[in-house]
Amino acid sequence: MESLRILLLMAFRSLGGHKIKGLIVGSLLAFGTFLFVLGTTLLESVERAMEASITRSITGHIQLVSARAVDRLTFFGPEASSDQDIGVLPDFSRVREVASKIPGVAAVIPMGRYYGQPILNTELDEAIEALEEAFAEGDPAVIEDRIGKVRRMAARLKEDYLRAAALAADDEEHEKAIAALDRVTSEEFWTSLRHAPEEGLQFLAFEIAKLSDDESMLYLPFIGTDLHRYAESFVHFEMVEGEMPPPGTRGILISQAAYDQFFKNRPARVLDLLHEAKTLDGRRIADDAALQDLVSRLKEMTAQVTMHLSPRAATELDAKLRERFPKVEGDLDARLAAFFEVDDENFAERYEFFQKEVVPHIPLYRVPVGGTFTLRSMTKSGYPKAVNVRLWGTFRFKSLERSELASAYSLIDLASFRDLLGLMTAEKRRELDSIREEVEVSEIDPNDVEAFLFGEAPVIEEGGEADLDLDARLAALDRPTDEDSDTFDPAEIEKGTILHAAVVLHDPGKLREVMARLQEAFDREGLEVKPLAWSEVTGIIGQLVVVLRAVLYVLIGIIFVVALVIINNSMVMATMDRIGEIGTMRAIGARRGFVLALFLLETLVLGFFASALGALAASALLALLGQTGIHTHQPFLIFLFGGTALYPAIDLANVVWSFAVIVVISVISTFYPARLAARVPPVVAMQGKE
Amino acid sequence: MSAIVSVENVVKEYPLGKLKVRALDGVTLSFGEGEFAAIAAPSGAGKTTLLNLIGCVDVPTSGVVRIDGQATSELDDAGLTRLRLHKLGFIFQSFNLITVLDVYQNVEFPLLLQGGMTKKERDRRVREIVEQVGLDKQMRHRPNELSGGQRQRVAIARALVTRPRIVLADEPTANLDSATGQNIIGLMKEINRKNRTTFIFSTHDPMVMSQAERVIRMADGRIVGEERRAAEGAA
Ligand SMILES: Nc1ncnc2c1ncn2[C@@H]1O[C@H](COP(=O)(O)OP(=O)(O)O)[C@@H](O)[C@H]1O
Ligand SMILES: [Mg+2]
Repeated sequence: MESLRILLLMAFRSLGGHKIKGLIVGSLLAFGTFLFVLGTTLLESVERAMEASITRSITGHIQLVSARAVDRLTFFGPEASSDQDIGVLPDFSRVREVASKIPGVAAVIPMGRYYGQPILNTELDEAIEALEEAFAEGDPAVIEDRIGKVRRMAARLKEDYLRAAALAADDEEHEKAIAALDRVTSEEFWTSLRHAPEEGLQFLAFEIAKLSDDESMLYLPFIGTDLHRYAESFVHFEMVEGEMPPPGTRGILISQAAYDQFFKNRPARVLDLLHEAKTLDGRRIADDAALQDLVSRLKEMTAQVTMHLSPRAATELDAKLRERFPKVEGDLDARLAAFFEVDDENFAERYEFFQKEVVPHIPLYRVPVGGTFTLRSMTKSGYPKAVNVRLWGTFRFKSLERSELASAYSLIDLASFRDLLGLMTAEKRRELDSIREEVEVSEIDPNDVEAFLFGEAPVIEEGGEADLDLDARLAALDRPTDEDSDTFDPAEIEKGTILHAAVVLHDPGKLREVMARLQEAFDREGLEVKPLAWSEVTGIIGQLVVVLRAVLYVLIGIIFVVALVIINNSMVMATMDRIGEIGTMRAIGARRGFVLALFLLETLVLGFFASALGALAASALLALLGQTGIHTHQPFLIFLFGGTALYPAIDLANVVWSFAVIVVISVISTFYPARLAARVPPVVAMQGKE
Repeated sequence: MSAIVSVENVVKEYPLGKLKVRALDGVTLSFGEGEFAAIAAPSGAGKTTLLNLIGCVDVPTSGVVRIDGQATSELDDAGLTRLRLHKLGFIFQSFNLITVLDVYQNVEFPLLLQGGMTKKERDRRVREIVEQVGLDKQMRHRPNELSGGQRQRVAIARALVTRPRIVLADEPTANLDSATGQNIIGLMKEINRKNRTTFIFSTHDPMVMSQAERVIRMADGRIVGEERRAAEGAA
């Protein structure tokens, strides 16, 4: 239509004629679009990156859980460290068989999430052991050095106990401990030890060592799984040190980050932390209280180096330190303490010296790769359980090395896992079933077998007289697996109790579709299994995306409301300014619709160009960021970004969508002023003054 | 002679707070085709009000205004708008050009509102009328680049481009110096002769009045007298 031409022309010209209004409204719309495009794109990139981080390392795309689960399976956040009742999968072998047939499913991996406490030697344990070794070797100088260390530790421990006693003077236990410590801090004890070490060493090992509890007692979260299938199916998984246990062999793989955090020699670890803080995060000791605190703790940790040194290594190190600190009085510990007094200037050099001169002479980790340690946990029915596990190696998730979240979990074989939880093998389960039949007990929860054995759970309804034979047979079930064997039959183990399972997909985009098909297949097969999307089992992480999205939308919403109000106001003002012009147009024959269209078109044109400009600017910035990446050393951001850099990818749909929304908003906000303008009566033209 | 405009016993009151101002108090009048009539009265007599009613930008409180036989009070806004667009042309005291459009576009504007005309035909009509008012050299100028007289010429061209039956002009010379004013009235008269377009304009300038064939005198909202004189030759 020809009048569209004049409308457009007038719209453009009016915009030109009202530059200030156009500029304000235009920049607002451009900025709104800019933020909208930037925000949604970054958020989506983060979501995608985070999804990849999680699904390719820990959860897979879908988790299969029992439909009877009371709690929602959660891998991260506070729920994850509570004792979740997620039930057990009914018959994992069949679950896997059914799930594997669904198109799009790449792998089904058995899993169980739990946590245990590694029982590691304390510093005192190690000092006593070192003293024993020194006696065995017989070098008097070394013996004296080691005696000195144990005595110092014992003295420190005694102080701790006395302080604790003052606070809560209670039981015999405490007094006995203090009496024992009294003895080892006395001169006579050590004199007699020097002459006849046997008895004194025994006293130290059995009565004193246990009194020290290390600060370190961490909980190690782990996932009991088929380690090989895990390694194959999770593409982010890679070994750092050691090797995979051969199939059917018990063992644990610890994430390198957890290994460094909990198992590494303390002073070495503290130096690493300082090194990372300085080189990766650019922090400075001089103006960082946390780092200063680390340094002052480092100075207390000399014994954790010196007690591990062989006499020769100790002499060599002492010679080198003497050169550096000729004025420092006292022994190697004193000189090492001086060495540990690091600052921003000397750190790099001392760190290097430590790596070169000290690290090769001490055990760097409390359990070496290939070594064995004891892992203690509470079984599901509340009994403590300890299992010896071999540390086969350490692993990491590619590009997520520094993320604490991604490296929270260690991986353990299913047999050990089952022992730690007190779960049963298929064979034991059959046995239990037959016992159950005999006693006509309807319900013995496989998880409650221990409670059942220990007579606490009221699982047998009719009490009656206890069947001695039955008790004996149940007692045999106490050992859920053959714990003395290093190996197990993987096929057999998967027929036993499995808590949940991860499903890895070929195409993550098909998530919802595969979930629906899985549910359908399980229902058809009568398996009480429920598929959960990765985002549903990631706790705070999954919620984080929701929160981020909400924040973004609230922000955009605010911008919109502000834009709406400002556009509305400035258009109303523009209408007032232009009353004469409108009246004239009306007088010479323009219909109301024409005026309405003119005003709407004006903002439409403005909105179109401003919004296009904003979208363009955002796209340009995103394209640039897509090239350079957004870099971070922040562990949490690393997890969000799926690595140390996020490369945002522009999604055209986002750009178009933001653009359209802004244009629509601008038109909506003009509706009222445009209607106002359309109501201007033609008679005002007659009253007009130019 | 059949009246193209007839005003029958028209009263127009404006609300003024709680009171009412009676701007027209029983006016009866009619204009024939091709007339060149002046409404002469002092300020506040009701000239603008009367022209507004004839110009269909307002409707009477009572009485009837007919344009070409059509009573304006029977029409809604759309009907009145159509009437203005097709039968009336307006020349305003303050020119009222659309500032963002150039001379050509201002003149073309009513034709675009009318629609139904080829671009070529429209172009011919616009150029013809712009030439006629002597602004062919200023075709692409914006109103703010023109003098007052030139602006009023544009307004005349805009009023005439649709070939209306009636052109209304409310004190068209009030914002012009007297020589330019004379000039503008001369132009209007020339067109009136050539096209037989009815011109009704108001003024309180005796020089302007003297150009009219018919002068209607008003005071306090009433018609108080009327003079006719034969069409003159050169003044
Ligand atoms: N919109 C209006 N509201 C109230 N009074 C008005 C309005 N327009 C005109 N009047 C009054 O009506 C009378 C006639 O005014 P008007 O027609 O403008 O006279 P003229 O054009 O002859 O100067 C005047 O008293 C004026 O104050
Ligand atoms: Mg007037």
